[in-house]
Amino acid sequence: MKTALKLLFTISLLLATHHAIAEQGLSLLTKKIKAPDFNLVDMNGVKHSLAEYKGKPIIINFWATWCPPCRRELPSMNKGWSKIKNSGINMLAINVGEDEDTIFNFMADYPIDFKVLLDLSGDIINKWPVNGLPTTFVVDKNGYIIYRAIGGRDWSSDKLLNKVRALNH
Amino acid sequence: MQLPNTICLIIIGLFAGYPSFLLAGVEIKTDPQTRLKSYRLQQGGFKLELVQRLPDQTRAFFMARGFSKKIANDIALSCVFQTIGTNISDKTNPAAIEVSLKDWRLKVNNKEKKVKLKTAWDKQWSETEVNKASRIAFKWATFPSYQNFSNSGDYGWGMTSFNLPPQTVFDLKIVWTQNKKPQHAWIRSIECPEDR
Repeated sequence: MKTALKLLFTISLLLATHHAIAEQGLSLLTKKIKAPDFNLVDMNGVKHSLAEYKGKPIIINFWATWCPPCRRELPSMNKGWSKIKNSGINMLAINVGEDEDTIFNFMADYPIDFKVLLDLSGDIINKWPVNGLPTTFVVDKNGYIIYRAIGGRDWSSDKLLNKVRALNH
Repeated sequence: MQLPNTICLIIIGLFAGYPSFLLAGVEIKTDPQTRLKSYRLQQGGFKLELVQRLPDQTRAFFMARGFSKKIANDIALSCVFQTIGTNISDKTNPAAIEVSLKDWRLKVNNKEKKVKLKTAWDKQWSETEVNKASRIAFKWATFPSYQNFSNSGDYGWGMTSFNLPPQTVFDLKIVWTQNKKPQHAWIRSIECPEDR
């Protein structure tokens, strides 16, 4: 009887372990990819290129206002930004295919304190290894994509941010 | 009740090494408020959820993104499901999951069909019918035709059209790879959402 109970207990433990959702993190890219450059305007019409951020790590998020996981993720990115903004690490949100007015209205409900760039034509996202929204990349100070996250993450998590901070040395 | 230690070890080994074998299954639910059905498959390191989308929901989404009423209606009435794919493998059994919609098959009235991919939709519209901004919205709001999910918490979502009339019942063969090994599973008797 004891053996049977032990067996049941072990099985329950294994099942519980298996049901645990995969821990959220960042995928380390095995192949070094140079981050494709861009030249995009921000909400004030000012142009920005990736080249101007060279020398420091940067988190780049592709998103859209109508994308539910993007809406869940952006507030955590804003919190994450407040933690890293003075460390020299940069963060950008590249909106795909929507105009300033749409984004402006969205930001009334979902404030974004870091830079939002507009990929109105969708040409830039097509140059990046993105298949779905949201997708976020961490680019190192030499302009190489180091990490990727498909789907939303909690960017206010220090565990996640520490991976980016480690690239800032 | 005494089980020989060898048998215990074999059973434990089965659970530890091949949890997918024992945990594979499809769960069907109906939302009590919306009455929309959802189908959830969980096998190995992969979870797939299909949630019915009312044609009205889909129609409104695409019309708000510049599609004409006619084209938005074509999409809305093509058996659209919100599709969410997730890598659920954990650290103890990490898996790389790849999903390619071109490998999926649906069976309706004993006939096999392919999933209508986003490129097929895009090709059928002329430039005057659908502008570039609308095409961008369609491309990114639909489930990726190909996606690879790592076990760092990756998931993907989007609409999938099975190109069938409302209320059609079909079986869906879901195909993916786990650590490059082909996997498949059927979800039987999926109901296309009705046009209420």
